[in-house]
Amino acid sequence: MQFLQATIIGVSLGAQYALLALGFTLIFGILGVVNFAHGGFYMLGGYVAYSCVAYVGLPFPLAVLIAVLATAALGWVFELFLLERLVDDHLATLMLTLGLYLVITTGAMSAFGPLSMDFRFPVGGSLHVGTLYLPWQNLIVLGVCLAAIGALWLVLFRTDLGRGLRALADDRAVAMAQGLRPKLLFPMAFALATGLAGLTGALVTPILSLSPGVGDPVLATSFLTVILGGLGSLEGAALAAFVVGLVEAFSSVYFGGSIGALVLFVLVLLILVFRPTGLLGRTVRGA
Amino acid sequence: MHNKPALFGWPELISVLVLAAGFFVPMYTRSVLVYSILNQAFIGVIAAQSVWIMLRMNLLSFASPAFMAMGGYTVAIAGQHDITNALILVPAAFLIPALTSIPLGAMVLRLRGTYFVLVTFVLSQILQLLLFETPGLTGGSNGISGIPPVTLFDMEFGSNKMVLKFACGLAILATIITGVVTRWFRQPFAAIEENEVLAESLGLVVWRYKALGFMVSAGVAGLAGYSLVNMLLTAHPTSFESGSAVDFIAYTIIGGRATILGPLLGTGILVYATNLFGTHGQYAQGLYGVLIILVVLVARGGLTGLVQALLRTVIRRKA
Repeated sequence: MQFLQATIIGVSLGAQYALLALGFTLIFGILGVVNFAHGGFYMLGGYVAYSCVAYVGLPFPLAVLIAVLATAALGWVFELFLLERLVDDHLATLMLTLGLYLVITTGAMSAFGPLSMDFRFPVGGSLHVGTLYLPWQNLIVLGVCLAAIGALWLVLFRTDLGRGLRALADDRAVAMAQGLRPKLLFPMAFALATGLAGLTGALVTPILSLSPGVGDPVLATSFLTVILGGLGSLEGAALAAFVVGLVEAFSSVYFGGSIGALVLFVLVLLILVFRPTGLLGRTVRGA
Repeated sequence: MHNKPALFGWPELISVLVLAAGFFVPMYTRSVLVYSILNQAFIGVIAAQSVWIMLRMNLLSFASPAFMAMGGYTVAIAGQHDITNALILVPAAFLIPALTSIPLGAMVLRLRGTYFVLVTFVLSQILQLLLFETPGLTGGSNGISGIPPVTLFDMEFGSNKMVLKFACGLAILATIITGVVTRWFRQPFAAIEENEVLAESLGLVVWRYKALGFMVSAGVAGLAGYSLVNMLLTAHPTSFESGSAVDFIAYTIIGGRATILGPLLGTGILVYATNLFGTHGQYAQGLYGVLIILVVLVARGGLTGLVQALLRTVIRRKA
């Protein structure tokens, strides 16, 4: 029974990580940018949703939607006006996103203070199946995450926008020769990814916690997942997210402490050094 | 392969002189606040120099907290065994991280650009977790406290004044090491910074210089760890959080990466600015963020670059 419970926790963690990692890897695959601000957008999503519920009195689903739009808009503006100028300089873009992360975190801290917010998921209780107790909030988050992953898949593989984005990720020069415009598509890709981070933040922070520091572990987990899956690979990121979720769930149930994280990080170190293309082993983008 | 350059230039000399002024501070003030700011600055300068050495080869490293922890814990563990002599501990705090960096470097120096950044980030996360998971050696989440103060000959560096002097001495030592190494290997480092592939194809044994730079950078970070542990008299995992790498990178980038004056100026100004926020030191991070964005967008040379450009304009106008 413990095994089943851990599996379900792992899958639900995996779905959250997948949303974060897909956005992160999308940005790297298409723009070649390592987004150090990814955890910041997650945190910001949480705060926007919290503000909508606590100060404006909006229903939670609407608050989540606004959080997605707000984080996507910020991502769009940031890419268009700042990142775009230096998009091919890897270290410069990395520093820019790092700078943005510090600004977002400090902004949240000045507006809301350093302490955790009292932000609760609106649905309580749990589903009883035999001796299993599955909290409704986790099931709802799992459902929304899976739906978002499905929607992202549809956008990327069934629309012209998605085809354009994937073409730019594959080979920018050829894609541009075919008439695709990076200046138009890059901000959209960035906004799509930061919107996903905002969505995850809005959904998950009411269950876990909401404070200005919550972005740090999110960034570390996104790194882990994305490197494990191969930087820039969408399928790899999705697969790796569930591996990371399950390893975390099982190690916390059976071993406790941070052994699980340690094992994952060492694994990631070895993968980075000996197989930078990740689990699925497809070359995505040169360093 | 390359002409042997002068081992010390103006920037190095100015850095050492500015730092040496720290020895005279206790003659003028006993203010705990001044001592604390200066201690932070001395530690920050050393850590920023460790970042700077790697930046000379266009490698942005997040690993400095990991090597700081190695240096710091070496001193803490030695202190538990009543070894406090600086003549033993200074070399140990430098050599243990430097030697550890050899096998680590063999693995991570194969990577460049973004991948190097990621791998060093992962490295410092691993070390942070290891500190928690090895309570037998490192005291785990309790850390190691009650470390005896440093001794040198018959002096004991226990009082505030002496801790400051010791931190000052370590910062000068680190600056001399950093200065000599980056001067001596200026050409190969610059060749790697400009274009590593080209340098290699022209016959430069690139891995040798990268490994050497990584080793010295690790050793220098170890000295920063020593200074930090000596100031706090405890070694705790939270003192070496991987996030603190961001501060040292900020010091270096904002100060400017062209000369050794960059890390010094960046650290000095940012540590001072952080203390202006008083008890709200965490807000300083926002200032770092804005400054990093500004430097990357409009002043690639950082503060030292700006000063240089300004001087050049003034000189040109006079001529």
